[in-house]
Amino acid sequence: MKLIKFFLLLLIVFLLSSTKIFSDENKILVDKISKNLRCLICQGQSVYDSQSEFAISMKLLIKEKLDKGNTEKEIYNFLKNQYGDWIVYDPKFDKKTMLLWGFPLILFIFGGILIFRKVFIY
Amino acid sequence: MIFNNIGYYSLVFGLFISIYLLFFSFFLYIKGKSNNDLNLNIYHFSLIQLFLVILSFICLILCFILSDFSNETVYYNSHTTKPIFYKIAGAWGNHEGSLLLWLLVLTLFIFLFIIKSKSQPKKYRLLSIFFQQIIITGFFLFLLITSNPFDYLFPTPKEGLGLNPILQDPALVIHPPILYLGYVGSSIIFSSSLAALIENNLGTIWAKHIKNWVFVSWIFLTLGILLGSIWAYYELGWGGFWFWDPVENVSLMPWFSLTALLHTILVLEKRQLLKLWTIVLSISTFSLSMSGTFLVRSGILNSVHTFASDPERGVFILIFLFLLIFLAIFIFFFFSKNIEQVKGRNFYWLSKDFSILINNWFMMYFLSVVLIGTVYPIFLEVITSDKISIGPPFYNKLLIPFLIPFLIIMSFGPKLKWIKDRFEMLKLYKILFFFISLIISIFIYEKLGKNNLLISILILAGIYLFLISLIDFFKSKNNLSQNISHFGFSLLILSIILNSFFSSEFSSNMKIGDQIEFENKIIKFSKIESKKGSNYNSIVANFTIEDKNKRVTNFFPEIRIYNQPNIMTSEADIKTSIFYDKFFVVNLLKNETYFNVRYQVKSFMVWIWISTLLIALGGFIGLVKKIR
Repeated sequence: MKLIKFFLLLLIVFLLSSTKIFSDENKILVDKISKNLRCLICQGQSVYDSQSEFAISMKLLIKEKLDKGNTEKEIYNFLKNQYGDWIVYDPKFDKKTMLLWGFPLILFIFGGILIFRKVFIY
Repeated sequence: MIFNNIGYYSLVFGLFISIYLLFFSFFLYIKGKSNNDLNLNIYHFSLIQLFLVILSFICLILCFILSDFSNETVYYNSHTTKPIFYKIAGAWGNHEGSLLLWLLVLTLFIFLFIIKSKSQPKKYRLLSIFFQQIIITGFFLFLLITSNPFDYLFPTPKEGLGLNPILQDPALVIHPPILYLGYVGSSIIFSSSLAALIENNLGTIWAKHIKNWVFVSWIFLTLGILLGSIWAYYELGWGGFWFWDPVENVSLMPWFSLTALLHTILVLEKRQLLKLWTIVLSISTFSLSMSGTFLVRSGILNSVHTFASDPERGVFILIFLFLLIFLAIFIFFFFSKNIEQVKGRNFYWLSKDFSILINNWFMMYFLSVVLIGTVYPIFLEVITSDKISIGPPFYNKLLIPFLIPFLIIMSFGPKLKWIKDRFEMLKLYKILFFFISLIISIFIYEKLGKNNLLISILILAGIYLFLISLIDFFKSKNNLSQNISHFGFSLLILSIILNSFFSSEFSSNMKIGDQIEFENKIIKFSKIESKKGSNYNSIVANFTIEDKNKRVTNFFPEIRIYNQPNIMTSEADIKTSIFYDKFFVVNLLKNETYFNVRYQVKSFMVWIWISTLLIALGGFIGLVKKIR
């Protein structure tokens, strides 16, 4: 028990001490948005992670748009119009992606029914 | 030259032996004499087969060491100035060599299987060998027809093209062999479970025997994934360790399936239930491992791993894979009728067996999320020619809500008794732990802001499992293996969450002499030095970071310019400590006076590795206990 208490204390002290300074609201938003964008010229990297020229100019573009007062959603929509759905890592729910979002959930429900039948009915 | 020929002909003879064993084991099976000893020829020929493949593999390594560029594989993947260590590792750092390694592990495992299965019925063993030899023959043919590692090149070039520098790395030297041990182990489980199904041999004895193989593959698969992740972290230069990249997913899918099998096999052993489900999981684990190889090798995936791809080979594996799956499904439907199904209510809702069912339920869900996220974009593009990307947001949305109940169930499921347990009053310490977890998660919720309610609940569940398994560790030592793995899992989830929320980053363009302030620290770019490695020149940048207490840390990130092939890589300088990693990396910009500088403080990084090691360690302890 002592060990647990010690560890908890350590954890809390650490969490308290590691305050993140939110100096620039927009910078955080740029990071957040660019993490959700695919770097189109890279192999499986996000814009945030990449240092390619495409990614760097993309980050600048996002920053400009934010400074102009565009919202996050508007920026995604703008980029989707420019580059297609390929650029965002978060596929929207529509006719095309119904199965993508639905399949695991349907499977989960189906599995649940199977288990329920096995355990409670018979 | 000479080794080239020895290597090649070893493979050809290996193929002949494989075909011989294939027919011979089937013939003996049909003849079906009841004496319990295996024909000695099977031992001998398997040993010779193993020897031939080892010989061929050594020959390939020798070709690499001697830089024999008359061998096409060596020519494409090696260079005389490459350090000897990477010359050797280059032997499996390419498509042909890595397949030879697959084959080596396949033949090694079947030989070990023959030795280790002496207590099992003869007909079952013969049939397992037969199925395993089908796979081995397929791989021999695949290797010799589409990807011969010993192709001859004339005229002999003076110099090779060199190995991709990002592969010249210690973690990547052992990553493929370890991962393959996991993948190939699943092939033994596959063959053996088909044989057991046909022989109607699915019971406690079989479960005990195959459990060792399940554990072995599971440990190696876990470690293989870990190594790949560590490599991505420090070598790819962006400080991430998991990106839901298709190739990463492909190694995770068999892991889910195998983890489900690892639990199900316990039910089969203790209660002789879930027989057919065990077979389904064995088949799916192996199919997922094989299709993983297919997806990676075919170049269908857009990923960091596509350095080694060729569509034609993909078609071969695809056909081979379909044949195997078809065979498995056929056998399954034909012989599953013979298996006695215990009728009636076999599972009581408060029992260990039931909690294992729940584990399987969630594992299959996680598997389906990763599976559809990986293949959906491919199918969508083929059918509608629309391209979509599926990344972290998709997986977070579908996985996090389900991880919460999963962790909670993990915290009490293992402690329930088999068959039927009684409901007891909650012990005081459990309630206490719940409140401790609640307080910490509320605290974190306050800190993270209002958008992260779900994450905070996940933290609650994670801390609860963490505390419960920690106290179990001290209280009872009867199931150490399970305890350590589950503890590791809770630690992993917590570390990943804390890592993603409490990491900070600084990124800017700097030139020599620049000095920038960041979170009360001063980052200073003092100078660059040049250094020469055996096959690269590097620029070492010297940075100092001074914090508010005037403590100075030095960082020496490198930019390496490899001479052959001419590729630039960034080597991060990482300072690891208990609570955070400091990750410093620089990139060269076009105009060359400025460097792109990236400094990240990554919380709990080392705990992600440690917790995964703990998960694997739990498996290892379980295995050792069983063998002893």
